[in-house]
Amino acid sequence: MPVIVIASPKGGAGKSTTAVLLGTELAHAGADVTMLDCDPNGSVTLWSERAPLPPRIRVLSDVGEAGIIKTIRTHDTDGSVVIVDLEGVASRLVSRAISQADLVITPMRATTLDATIGVRALSLIGEEEEALGRDIRHAVVFTMTRAIRSKQHTGIEESLKEQGVDIIEPALMERAAFSALFEFGGDLRGMPAQGRMEGALQNASEFAQAVYARLSAEEAA
Amino acid sequence: MSDKPAFSVNVGGLKSRSKGTATARDVEKIDRAGDAHGFVDRSPKKKRGRPASPRTGQVHAKVLPEYSEEIAAEATRRGVTQGVLIEEAWQLYRGKHGL
Repeated sequence: MPVIVIASPKGGAGKSTTAVLLGTELAHAGADVTMLDCDPNGSVTLWSERAPLPPRIRVLSDVGEAGIIKTIRTHDTDGSVVIVDLEGVASRLVSRAISQADLVITPMRATTLDATIGVRALSLIGEEEEALGRDIRHAVVFTMTRAIRSKQHTGIEESLKEQGVDIIEPALMERAAFSALFEFGGDLRGMPAQGRMEGALQNASEFAQAVYARLSAEEAA
Repeated sequence: MSDKPAFSVNVGGLKSRSKGTATARDVEKIDRAGDAHGFVDRSPKKKRGRPASPRTGQVHAKVLPEYSEEIAAEATRRGVTQGVLIEEAWQLYRGKHGL
């Protein structure tokens, strides 16, 4: 089953939120999901300890540089999606995880700083593709976006598209429910209402569908 | 809020795909690619400094260089270990503080 690596050397880009939203939505849609928490801050582990895990999800914590490749390979079997949440630094752990990916998602806030640092992950993927002699599909998702799109957001998106970067639509919007996942644990359906829940559910579900469509396309190819 | 999934995952349709081998040489290639982009080894390192004695659990106290030299010279002059001087100093400390 696919290995989805959530990678950006920029801290605070929304990696763990992206990982949890994707994991819970894919599990809700019927997939068995194994989440590997490779972030020393342990955000996914903290989320997993807040409430009983939703059905079909398991979390493995404290996966380090030495064991990352073996751990991914152990769980990369038919019947389970593996989601790897990485630390927000440029480390060997990140480059090793990327080498095992079917899809790398780089979450990016629509700011010049996030884009500048996030692009380093995309450059690394290109280098690893060359070193390993295989394509590693990758895409960017904008996070914490607002209903009214900024000029900066439009400019960054256009620039990335011109460079042939795959942008996942929809972006993950700034929503109280998304950040509340780390307060209540579980998934969006199990938490007390936070803001406009219908909108949050729709956003998360459509994002997961967009990711799933990319995985399905990979299989078809 | 509907609990019905907006889409469903075809679990049987997504298979594990080969990522090639992961020999030491492959990992070296990956690490080299990472190094070229600043993705370097940041795994936690062991604590620096003198480790505790496995027999006694003691760690040598660190003192300023001038004290270190004086203690070493005095121990050499008397033909005892520096630990003997520390024991004597500790006795004086205990006496001074009524321990």
